[in-house]
Amino acid sequence: MTGSLLVQSLILGVLLGGLYALLAAGLTLYFGVMRVVMIAHSAFLILAAYLAWYANSKLGIDPLLTLVVTVPLFFGVGVVMQRLLIRRLRPATLTMMSVLLTFAIALFIEGLIGFVWGGTQRRTQLPYSSSSLEIFGARIAVVKLIAFGLAALSLLALYLLMKHTRFGQALRATIQHPEAAQLVGIKTDRVAGLGFGLGLATAALGGTALSLDATIYPSLHWHWIGPLMAIIVVGGLGSIPGAAIAALVLGVGQSLLQVPLGTTWAQTIFYVALFVTLMVRPQGFFGGRLAQRF
Amino acid sequence: MPNASSTLAAPSRETTTRQPTSRRTRRIAAALALVVGALVVALFPSMAPNAYILSAGVVVLSYACTATSWNFMGGFTGYISLGHAAYFGLGAYGTGIIIRELELPSFVAWALAGVVVAIITVPIGIAALRVRGASFVIVSISFVLILLLVFQGWGSFTGGSNGLVVPRPFPDLMRPEHHRVFFYLFAALLAVMLVLWWAIDRSRFGIGLKAIREDEDKAEALGIPTRNYKLVAYVVSATLTGLAGGMYALWFGDLDPIFQFSILLGSYMVLMALLGGIRNLFGPLVGAVIVGVALEVFKLEFGDTQFHLVATGLLLGLVVLFMPDGIIPAVQAGLRRLGPQSSSIREMTASELAERNAAAGINGDSVFSGGPAAREQSPDPAVARHAGGPTPAPEEER
Repeated sequence: MTGSLLVQSLILGVLLGGLYALLAAGLTLYFGVMRVVMIAHSAFLILAAYLAWYANSKLGIDPLLTLVVTVPLFFGVGVVMQRLLIRRLRPATLTMMSVLLTFAIALFIEGLIGFVWGGTQRRTQLPYSSSSLEIFGARIAVVKLIAFGLAALSLLALYLLMKHTRFGQALRATIQHPEAAQLVGIKTDRVAGLGFGLGLATAALGGTALSLDATIYPSLHWHWIGPLMAIIVVGGLGSIPGAAIAALVLGVGQSLLQVPLGTTWAQTIFYVALFVTLMVRPQGFFGGRLAQRF
Repeated sequence: MPNASSTLAAPSRETTTRQPTSRRTRRIAAALALVVGALVVALFPSMAPNAYILSAGVVVLSYACTATSWNFMGGFTGYISLGHAAYFGLGAYGTGIIIRELELPSFVAWALAGVVVAIITVPIGIAALRVRGASFVIVSISFVLILLLVFQGWGSFTGGSNGLVVPRPFPDLMRPEHHRVFFYLFAALLAVMLVLWWAIDRSRFGIGLKAIREDEDKAEALGIPTRNYKLVAYVVSATLTGLAGGMYALWFGDLDPIFQFSILLGSYMVLMALLGGIRNLFGPLVGAVIVGVALEVFKLEFGDTQFHLVATGLLLGLVVLFMPDGIIPAVQAGLRRLGPQSSSIREMTASELAERNAAAGINGDSVFSGGPAAREQSPDPAVARHAGGPTPAPEEER
């Protein structure tokens, strides 16, 4: 492996890891507020990518502008989903049944996308699609940088929201100890709904970033949910920093392995990491027992 | 699954006299239903108007096999695996590859593939069962995705995306005859699974598994070796799924990683079992008939569009939200409401019970006044019995 190829893989890995980190943060939010593993997260991701592609190809709008619509829309959908669907499940079997319910939602969305836009592969064509920058002899596509920037900005915004606003405090309190949060006057039900919306908003952001330089098709979301779930288990369920670190490490690992092994085998790093984590440290490497920290 | 009336035999005289008759009629009804069901299965091939209907029947039976074998894990222990398609695919590919590499007779290869699946499942089970709930589901899904990658990527061994052709076991049979033979083979496999499920359901092992389902920590505290029990259930479940997959490979003759290792197949298993009722012997079978027929109709009506995904998603969502216990318990409850009211401890409050006990001249301080509370901890009377419950519950019936 030559030096520039190594640098290129490293940079691409970091750029990919940023996107993984944002999406894994969303998954962690759902798990934190509701103890729900949201299988449909990546289906919403692909839906957002399709919306961005559609707006671009039919209306000629830059995909980034669709964020103005998709982010509030997904936020609302998330709140409604938590209020109308997730909350109806019995608390005793919530975790298992929520997996099935969100799985059903994922199938529904996949089918709907295929129904409306067909099963063919789509790709957004942009005037700056083919332009690239040169960094240390490595050629990096501008769209990848934009996608990473979007992901990084969103993660930063999420961090500031969680750390420095009253709503963020309420959200963290709900994650840490719902009963205690109720005792100090937090409406945990409402906060959980908003947290769900926030998680789904990350899917809108990630999907738009994805649409910039990926070929999309309806069943693509299975290729995303596997790695994302591996990331949150490796990072420790409920820990956002853990998820972010695991996302970066595994993203870089995948990118580096792609050179000698090819794309298909490089993906297995996520599952290998998942099984090793379960054997060595079932609670994950960065998490407490549950969502004990931010 | 015991029904509510089979809990702690009520002490009042009129019920003790009435119960045996109602139980006998119910047992006769169950036997009749069983005979009718067996007859329908036995006669279906000769009644099927054309080969297509017959092949659809084989597909439905193969679904019933997978859903029933899924239920060995999902029904007994409550661990919901969305990734049982992995074992289906392993069984199917195992059969095909063993035939190709070792040139064994088809059904020897099929049995050997079952052994291979069992051996592969042990380490996977040890890893997966270290975690509960959400993480277990994640691992089960990941295992399907990893196998999909492996079987697509390792083209020289598995045929990759081009698929794998499995030679037919009966090369001189015509197509309808081929379907007919496999219809009966699948039915026999299903019968073996049902008998095994029934036997485990009544055994000490099965009671331990159900205790895990109701409360794993308490079960462990009671001295049930939870990890080993879960592992055995998981391996049995996976092996039977693998055998169903191998049978499918011999019948269909053409394997593709996308279809064998598909999450959709695993979700069908869960949907069928949940729809019928995972606590019932025949729940997965009922669910498989409903979902299998619906899928075939969808394919005929809507062709190759993605619409069946929408329908599957909707159906699964509705079942999870409104009928998580399945059709069979719902129907049973409805029938019970129509029939003579049996005195069930579940339908009574503690004060009502004390009142009735006083009327019957029984000391109100008997164990039964503690009944509702004890029941709340373990809704399954079999578990209560295992945990030292007050009375030996009458035999379970369906």
